[in-house]
Amino acid sequence: MSEMKEYSLPVPVKPPAEIESLELPVPPGLDEKATKGDEIVLFVGPQHGGSGHMRLIVRVHGDVIREVIPDPGFVHRGVEKLAENKLYIQNIPLVERPAIMDCVNFSLGYVRAIEQAMDIEVPERAKYIRTMLAEICRIGTHFYDAGILSVFLGHTTGFMWPFALRELACEVLMRVAGARITASYVVPGGVRRDVDNSTLNYIYEATTYIQRKAKDFERIFVRNPVTIARLKDVAALSKKEAIKYGIVGPFLRACGVEYDVRAVEPYDAYDELTWDVIVADEGDSYSRFLVRVNEIQQSISIIKQCVKALKDMPQGNIVSADIAGKKKAKEGEEKRGLDTVKGAFFRLFGRLTLPAGEYTTLTEAARGTLLYTIVSDGKSNAPYRLRVVTPGWCYLKGFMESLKGCRVADLQAVYGSFGYFPPEADR
Amino acid sequence: MLSYNALLEMFRQNSVGIPIITRKLVLYHTATKVAYIPPVTSLFAKIPILNLIVALIFWKPFFAVLFAPGLVCILIALLPIIWFERKVTARVQWRYGPLEISRDIGGLIQPMADGMRYFFQEVITHREAHRPYFLQFPLLTFLPVLLPILVIPAGTIYAINTPYSIPAAIALISLIPMIIVAIGWASNSKYAYVGSLREAFMYFSYEIVLIIAAMSMVILYGSANAIEIVKEQSVIPGVILNPLAALVFFIAIVMATSRFPFEIPEADPEVVFGPFVEYTGIIFGLVMTIAYEKLYLLCLLFSILFLGGWNGPFIPPLGDLSPVLWLFLKTFVLMMIFVFFRTFYGRYRLDQALKIGWSTLMGFAIVGLGISLGLGAINIAGWL
Repeated sequence: MSEMKEYSLPVPVKPPAEIESLELPVPPGLDEKATKGDEIVLFVGPQHGGSGHMRLIVRVHGDVIREVIPDPGFVHRGVEKLAENKLYIQNIPLVERPAIMDCVNFSLGYVRAIEQAMDIEVPERAKYIRTMLAEICRIGTHFYDAGILSVFLGHTTGFMWPFALRELACEVLMRVAGARITASYVVPGGVRRDVDNSTLNYIYEATTYIQRKAKDFERIFVRNPVTIARLKDVAALSKKEAIKYGIVGPFLRACGVEYDVRAVEPYDAYDELTWDVIVADEGDSYSRFLVRVNEIQQSISIIKQCVKALKDMPQGNIVSADIAGKKKAKEGEEKRGLDTVKGAFFRLFGRLTLPAGEYTTLTEAARGTLLYTIVSDGKSNAPYRLRVVTPGWCYLKGFMESLKGCRVADLQAVYGSFGYFPPEADR
Repeated sequence: MLSYNALLEMFRQNSVGIPIITRKLVLYHTATKVAYIPPVTSLFAKIPILNLIVALIFWKPFFAVLFAPGLVCILIALLPIIWFERKVTARVQWRYGPLEISRDIGGLIQPMADGMRYFFQEVITHREAHRPYFLQFPLLTFLPVLLPILVIPAGTIYAINTPYSIPAAIALISLIPMIIVAIGWASNSKYAYVGSLREAFMYFSYEIVLIIAAMSMVILYGSANAIEIVKEQSVIPGVILNPLAALVFFIAIVMATSRFPFEIPEADPEVVFGPFVEYTGIIFGLVMTIAYEKLYLLCLLFSILFLGGWNGPFIPPLGDLSPVLWLFLKTFVLMMIFVFFRTFYGRYRLDQALKIGWSTLMGFAIVGLGISLGLGAINIAGWL
């Protein structure tokens, strides 16, 4: 068979004016070149139904994506710069803002950097409460991402159910911390207030309910033939590529790399609990999604262990004595911390100053490894520099690379499979 | 040239018989006395112009296209089906769905409220659009939607009784994608372009199997006349005779009307309502209903070909409307099944839909054709 010859039709198409006026991050002449050739350049976002708060500049040949150029930064709020003008304690609500549902993980990383600088030992009960709430937030975030993926695939029931289940995570946060999202619950040296037994019972029931309903969700969406057809073998990344592009978190584990900060450098109560690191080998969109679906089950198991441990513990002692620093321990008695920060907040944290130096922590947030670096000059009560590297920003490159060779319709499926959250990446 | 009276007589000769409207209602009847209420239509029988209008309305071809099973029936089906789609989806998804407008009847008139909103919205024609075509194609969709009604009979109400009614109806329904592609072209935007290309590809993937499935039933019944076909099914409906063709026709309808899981041309996260991306206001309301109108037409065909059409117990007070009612009920139940798919399916990719259309579905269609040929041969031999 002779090779098919391509005929170009003289269609009077002008490159759009916005390519100059919007100062897009594209090589000059991209749209002219594409228009004259056999490609079209699609601007997906930032007000597109399936783009989130970012613009994707997609070079399409026929139905196949040749290249995707991201244009992030639409929700950049300058968290790092704002942090330099606030007290250490005031930065806790600030650092949660990038990923509102993942609030405890985000404040946990920041607070642990402060604790590392001041060499604070956190009481056992506070550790367990932190771990429990971090996992609640992980469940909430994973459900949120599953919902977004479902609606990108057009599956509206798969959107509504996880969002309804996420409400339970919000409710737990509300009962424990007082806010549905952005709880600002973790403070240096412990947590803001104690969790009573009735709340613990509620958490246990809520997780049991989530466990039961997550099975229904699996039946209707995860094992749905249409979902499998749309996600299986789409935008697969090999182990090597995943490491090369610096992918983090569940998406790295989906490519067969067994790396989880909770297991490698355990913090809080993770080394005292039993759980598995979920790993998949395929590295395609479906395994990226499945890893997170299975992580929900692991998180539920962690929460149940935490609830059990917390019930066995005596109430109180949730802020470390190292930071409370007032009561002297009697002879033969262990130094006891505070039962609540109520009334002592400004005394404890108002003049918090870190010793000079650079303090870095790694945290496993829901979407991947989260890095905080605090640089302190030793005199100021605000950080000299706060560096936040969010997981979204880390895997943006891998996300863009994996899209090459996919179909146009896959763009949203891959977007959802990565759970990309622009506010988190842009900080 | 027909005279006024000849025209009136022509209309009256072929008028729809509905006892409660066009016939005398007998109140009681004894040996000597008959008391009756005169038919509503006779009120206008002597008034010069009105009697012609009334006769025209009840003239069967006119009645078929504009009332039943035509335009009015489409509207009657459309409003509850949009409501039902939203309500059943909401029920599955732990929500209420439309409720606030008319709480007592569960928000049933929500689609009407939406239509009203569309009426008062501004119709924006963007600078790049081909203005005349952009505004006129949505109105032109009524042509391919109403023309098939001419050849789809409903019991005794029909416009044209032709031996080619099924092929003619399918050919006329096939004009709808042309209009959609034209709409995408007139919009002159990248997303509308991608969307109309998808529509064209989807048209490729379902049309052939749809025609094969319909034709296999035509072969089975030995006639392409819808009236003959329904008469053949008075004992056994077609869905039992050839379930494979029914399945193929069913899936082809899902593809043709872009219901889930084949809602590909209008995929909102991908191409933002595809060909219709640039429309606003009442014109958007018009183009949005195209898929539902097409669904109604194809469901009519499905019930005629596979579910015994208007076969059902005769309801005397309705007269000629009785078979229409049965046909409408079957069609409506089918539409309810089709819109229910939204709750548990996502959306296939375009290439996957093409693959399904040309491999699995095509294979089923050909096997179904074989079954029909076999059964048709038996039928001719007179064993059935």
